[in-house]
Amino acid sequence: MPDLVERAKARIGTEGRRRESPVEAGHLRRFCEAIGDDNPRWRVEAPPTFLVALSSETLDLPEAMAYGKGWLNGGDHFRYQEPVRAGDIISSVTRLTDVFEKQGGSGSMLFLVSETTLRNQHGRVVATITGTRIRR
Amino acid sequence: MKGQAAKAEVGMEIPELVKNPSTQQLAKYAGASGDFYQIHYDKDFALEVGLPGVILHGLLKTAFLGQLVTDWVGEEGTLTDLQVSYRGLDLPGNSYRCRGVVRSVEGAVVGLEVWGEDPEGNRTTIGTATVQLRR
Repeated sequence: MPDLVERAKARIGTEGRRRESPVEAGHLRRFCEAIGDDNPRWRVEAPPTFLVALSSETLDLPEAMAYGKGWLNGGDHFRYQEPVRAGDIISSVTRLTDVFEKQGGSGSMLFLVSETTLRNQHGRVVATITGTRIRR
Repeated sequence: MKGQAAKAEVGMEIPELVKNPSTQQLAKYAGASGDFYQIHYDKDFALEVGLPGVILHGLLKTAFLGQLVTDWVGEEGTLTDLQVSYRGLDLPGNSYRCRGVVRSVEGAVVGLEVWGEDPEGNRTTIGTATVQLRR
């Protein structure tokens, strides 16, 4: 599917819609229940991976959806700069940073790398998340 | 919390964390995280795309590895970096064993290798974590 890969590559640099999300105490509680982490610290502070619940870390690219049958997750990289707490308002934007194709054991796979930057209501970057998603 | 990070030494294994995720936990995680990809709760869909059944969200496994580190750090510091690669599929009903080893200590910065194992001992998620200690 060389044409599809080239078209997906042409989308590098594309930014998704900016999303603004208030950090709600009830959402924090439900997230901690879901991951099974009862650390009392997380009653007011976001646990490490909570940030993915505030951002839409995947871009809906038609070129990617047309490749293969489904998604797999390749990896995630969280870099934290400041704690996120209940009451904060986090704005996030995701940018496609790389696209490449690889041959795997079960056929070819398309890798899409995106970077999400999350800022708080003071305009300071609280974290960045680099995600690698795979179509196969 | 436990909080033993101040005593970190290179080569030291941190206390493991064993999780026993169920399909119900995957449904809860889908709701709490907003990741509603059907391979995590719809068995027919999962089989259709060539999977052996519903599988754990990669980011749920990362949440477990995050907890492994933050339980160990307690109030003595902060996780500043967490990087993972997903190398294998994990199914609900199987135990998921999270482990970590201290790989570097430079002043107040501790580097760890972390990973998650399936019941056969395969490292299905591998990664690194960095902790900044309060000193």
